[in-house]
Amino acid sequence: MSRREGSLDPQADSSVSPLPHLEAKIQQTHSLARLLTKYAEQLLQEYVQHQGDPFGLPGFSPPRPPVAGLSAPAPGHAGLPVPERLRLDAAALAVLPPLLDVVRRRQAELNPRAARLLRRLEDAARQARALGAAVEAVLGALGAETGGPRAEPATAAAAAIAAAATGGVFPAKVLGLRVCSLYLEWVSRTEADLGQLAPGGPA
Amino acid sequence: MPAGSPGPAAQSARRPPPLLPLLLFCVLGAPQAGSGADTAVISPQDPTLLIGSSLQATCSVHGDTPGATAEGLYWTLNGRRLPPELSRMLNASTLALALANLNGSRQQSGDNLVCHARDGSILAGSCLYVGLPPEKPFNISCWSKNMKDLTCRWTPGAHGETFLHTNYSLKYKLRWYGQDNTCEEYHTVGPHSCHIPKDLALFTPYEIWVEATNRLGSARSDVLTLDILDVVTTDPPPDVHVSRVGGLEDQLSVRWVSPPALKDFLFQAKYQIRYRVEDSVDWKVVDDVSNQTSCRLAGLKPGTVYFVQVRCNPFGIYGSKKAGIWSEWSHPTAASTPRSERPGPGGGACEPRGSEPSSGPVRRELKQFLGWLKKHAYCSNLSFRLYDQWRAWMQKSHKTRNQHRTRGSCPRAEGARREVLPDKL
Repeated sequence: MSRREGSLDPQADSSVSPLPHLEAKIQQTHSLARLLTKYAEQLLQEYVQHQGDPFGLPGFSPPRPPVAGLSAPAPGHAGLPVPERLRLDAAALAVLPPLLDVVRRRQAELNPRAARLLRRLEDAARQARALGAAVEAVLGALGAETGGPRAEPATAAAAAIAAAATGGVFPAKVLGLRVCSLYLEWVSRTEADLGQLAPGGPA
Repeated sequence: MPAGSPGPAAQSARRPPPLLPLLLFCVLGAPQAGSGADTAVISPQDPTLLIGSSLQATCSVHGDTPGATAEGLYWTLNGRRLPPELSRMLNASTLALALANLNGSRQQSGDNLVCHARDGSILAGSCLYVGLPPEKPFNISCWSKNMKDLTCRWTPGAHGETFLHTNYSLKYKLRWYGQDNTCEEYHTVGPHSCHIPKDLALFTPYEIWVEATNRLGSARSDVLTLDILDVVTTDPPPDVHVSRVGGLEDQLSVRWVSPPALKDFLFQAKYQIRYRVEDSVDWKVVDDVSNQTSCRLAGLKPGTVYFVQVRCNPFGIYGSKKAGIWSEWSHPTAASTPRSERPGPGGGACEPRGSEPSSGPVRRELKQFLGWLKKHAYCSNLSFRLYDQWRAWMQKSHKTRNQHRTRGSCPRAEGARREVLPDKL
């Protein structure tokens, strides 16, 4: 069997060249992840500007509140097999859009004139969804299983209503910073993981 | 419990905070670096205060946290550490802060007042909203484009600087009956404007006003009463053409078309023309043009490029007694007067049409030549107009060369429409 025919063994060495269409898909998704990483950096900068100092000041060490269903990439993430990494990337990217929506709605109240920030948050939610879907498509083409248990959006929404009465502005700013930071961490992590699969990537 | 000194509307102006996922955020009012567990709380949370007022705040460390004490705690406001003399320990677990004569908030999302542990980690935060209640908006002006819509703009009171997000809402209703309506399309012609696109009645007055609201209160403008028919404007007159009047060195002819949109609305139109020399910013206005769609500018400088604009006022629509609203000026159109050695008088006014262009010996000979060419050659489009365009282009080129020699730049009016000159006749 030619290396370019048949399905790929997800356990195979990543230096084996995938099918041409898969190769193109990986490259395309990798390019998307690279672009979204830049956008995520810009979003973070825009976000801290609008919250005021000390947000954005050098040395600002904000609290890192836990976010249900989403944590930062684990230190051992890079040591996992590529398909497993991509599964985790896709899972995180699927959880991010509703979180970004929450942040956008809160910022619409706190910074109603920050049109560019609000637009970036809206775009980020949409782009995270798109990148997650693209990563899942790559996983599917690789023959790898996708998905795993994720937080149900309905559960998160119900929880949001329960928390409505007690959320202060400063904690909301901190939470938004955390979500934007996680978004950046995960898209850049996805970019790196896809880079392992892209032609010319490291073995 | 120590509290600030908010204005009377401050507390009532606060809105309930919006949704935040409970599962997403386990630290309520007291984020802590790393762990997310509640360690302290600031009171008051997110107060709204008048500029110049004082604030008494406390940072209380939770007693069940090991080693929880107010010893060593400190405050920052917008990232700047506050002087220790502003703080004092109320008890072992509470650090108080006294701020006086507060300035307006630095950002709309609120000033960040943060309580820090000795090691600098953030224990809790609260956002201060310091500003002014809105003042009465004023100077409402409205206009209707071709009687199909209504656009209004206004000036915010106190030049708009309240240091707090202030919401402006344009309201309107039919004077004699009907409910209040709220305009929905804002910022259409500037930050304080709104556009009502449809469902407007004619021949009946509207009442229009603006309400301004922020965390510290609200204010309402005076009511403006108007009939749509009295505030109608149009697009500028289309197809404005400026041309020479034969060889007359001090005159230009201006022609335009009346705006087509209102041709069925039984209106009278009056026009204004303004013109200026190419490298000048001073416009001269001719406003006794009445209902004509042409005018001759006289008393101009010979050999000079002029920019000309026209605007229209559709008054007397459907018998309304009031004047309408002047349209925007048309795009600038340029043309040049013929060159002459003698200086012109420099003034300008509309002159009646009818006088023939002067015909010196050069022009007579040129006329004969052009006539012969038309008969015996294939240049059927030759005309004095083309000759004039060529002359204007030559003058312009000559002038540009001279200007480059003297100061190296040639200011040009932006958006000016020039007569397009052929490369060759």
